[in-house]
Amino acid sequence: MSAIIETQNLSKVYTARFGKGNVKALNNFSFSINQGEIFGLLGPNGAGKTTLVKILLGITFPTNGDAKVFGMKASNHKWKMKVGYLPENHRFPNYLTGEQVLGYYGRLSGMKNKAEMDKRIDEMLGLMRLTEWRKTKIKKYSKGMMQKIGLAQAMLSNPDLIFLDEPTDGVDPIGRKEIRDILTQIKSQGKTIFLNSHLLSEVEMICDRVAILNKGDLIKEGSVDDLTVSQDVFIIETGTPIDNESRASVLSIDSNAGIGESEINTSNGIETANRILDIFRSKRINIKNFNQKTSSLEEFFINVIKKEDAS
Amino acid sequence: MLTIIQNTFREALAKKIFIGYYIFYAIVILFMFFAANTDSIQGVMALADAKQAVTFVETGFLAIAFPLILFFSLISTSSFFPSMLEKGTIDLMISKPISRFNILLSKYLGAVLFVFASMVFLFGSIWLILSAKSGYWDVTFLFSIITMTLAFAVMYSIVILISILTQSTIVSILVNFFLIFVLCPILSSREIIIFPLIQNETVQFIFNFFYYIFPKPGEIKDITISILSEQPLNFWKTTAGENMQMTSAWMSMISSVIFCITITAASIYYFSKKDY
Repeated sequence: MSAIIETQNLSKVYTARFGKGNVKALNNFSFSINQGEIFGLLGPNGAGKTTLVKILLGITFPTNGDAKVFGMKASNHKWKMKVGYLPENHRFPNYLTGEQVLGYYGRLSGMKNKAEMDKRIDEMLGLMRLTEWRKTKIKKYSKGMMQKIGLAQAMLSNPDLIFLDEPTDGVDPIGRKEIRDILTQIKSQGKTIFLNSHLLSEVEMICDRVAILNKGDLIKEGSVDDLTVSQDVFIIETGTPIDNESRASVLSIDSNAGIGESEINTSNGIETANRILDIFRSKRINIKNFNQKTSSLEEFFINVIKKEDAS
Repeated sequence: MLTIIQNTFREALAKKIFIGYYIFYAIVILFMFFAANTDSIQGVMALADAKQAVTFVETGFLAIAFPLILFFSLISTSSFFPSMLEKGTIDLMISKPISRFNILLSKYLGAVLFVFASMVFLFGSIWLILSAKSGYWDVTFLFSIITMTLAFAVMYSIVILISILTQSTIVSILVNFFLIFVLCPILSSREIIIFPLIQNETVQFIFNFFYYIFPKPGEIKDITISILSEQPLNFWKTTAGENMQMTSAWMSMISSVIFCITITAASIYYFSKKDY
């Protein structure tokens, strides 16, 4: 797979006047995103997530390092024809109606064929369930509707790469589900999505790969499955209650094993888990389930940030 | 580029300040219409040479209204740039396949063209009323549309620079007020007002230096009036006669255009380097 976005030692320092109180927003950040991926960028407030997106889109300039999108320098505007962007707290001209907003940003995105653009506007308004609001000025839109029209403008020109900064901010649960479904649909078309979101459960559901940023540093990067799996914790569930003799045998192998009525968990790794399984098999106890324990992305994120802050 | 210009027109029409702006113009036009129909004016028109009478009214109107219209136009368009530079608006525009140079230039042209259209409406209506009433059809007065738009374009370059540096509408209005009504008139009349009082050559040099650097909206008005009243126009400004009568000069217009280009170039430079 080819990398669509690549950064090398990207750094950004916001300099305050007279040099006092400089803020390091990004620190030697290197990463890449492949075509067709849904990439989630996580981090607490002020971690540097929005700065990274802005550098990639040429809205902010890096202090050091290199950022390339579609093989071209981020500051070059020519590749932006292939990109859609939904900024956090976007402000569209409030004197325009929904369809006028889409028309305006569609033309700015380089859509020259009016008939084609009108067709796309119809499609997008339909997809976002905003067709009946198309002639209404957006100043009358609710927060959720504003997010949807924002998402529609980001997708209007059928871009290959979409940057979404908090796309479900202010959207109700049903709307969030709709947006998630739309993003999955876009992914199935081979598009690449770069997602900044505070809603970790959402990122977990949608993203293939995530990176965690804290105070400008990249702390973790990997697939959601890799990050949420707890490497050494295994759970064994039996079909019948565990007798006292078996309990004693398990404790002789792993004195710290947690033993329930029909469940055992061990944090001593796969070898210990196999030895426990051998005990059960020798005693002809049915094994109902054997799993490696996973934590939610939220749990993982909080643990990682806590550890990082403590160190 | 055309998309941003079109949107600037939409923004202009959507802003409530423009309702007041056009009501003001409509009142001016109506005033001219009724004044032209009063018995006394009709009597003067009948007695005097039509050309002389029309020129008198047109130059009188320009002398009074030129700086006011210029300032009103600047007030009503001064929020265009700060509103475009707001967070959530500018980042989305920069994310589109348009260069920052084009974004800035399109917005600037949009505002200038809007004012040009407003001037066509205002000056065109006044010209029609005066010409129809007097029967004297001379298009020279319509040249004011160009000079007024030019004066606006020059002063609006300051609005852009201040907006990029401070994102403040108020600061750009105050700076323009100071320039149009205080500093530029003082600099223009420095030979008559300041130099007889201050003989020091260094001070005089500083005044001259600033005079040539700063824009000269008042003198653009003087050029328009000179053309209308068929007075001589030199390249350099000269002071002559017992009353220290000044002649208008093309230099005023050229140096104002150079100022406009320099300030716009500086704005483009800052805009293309700035983080949003």
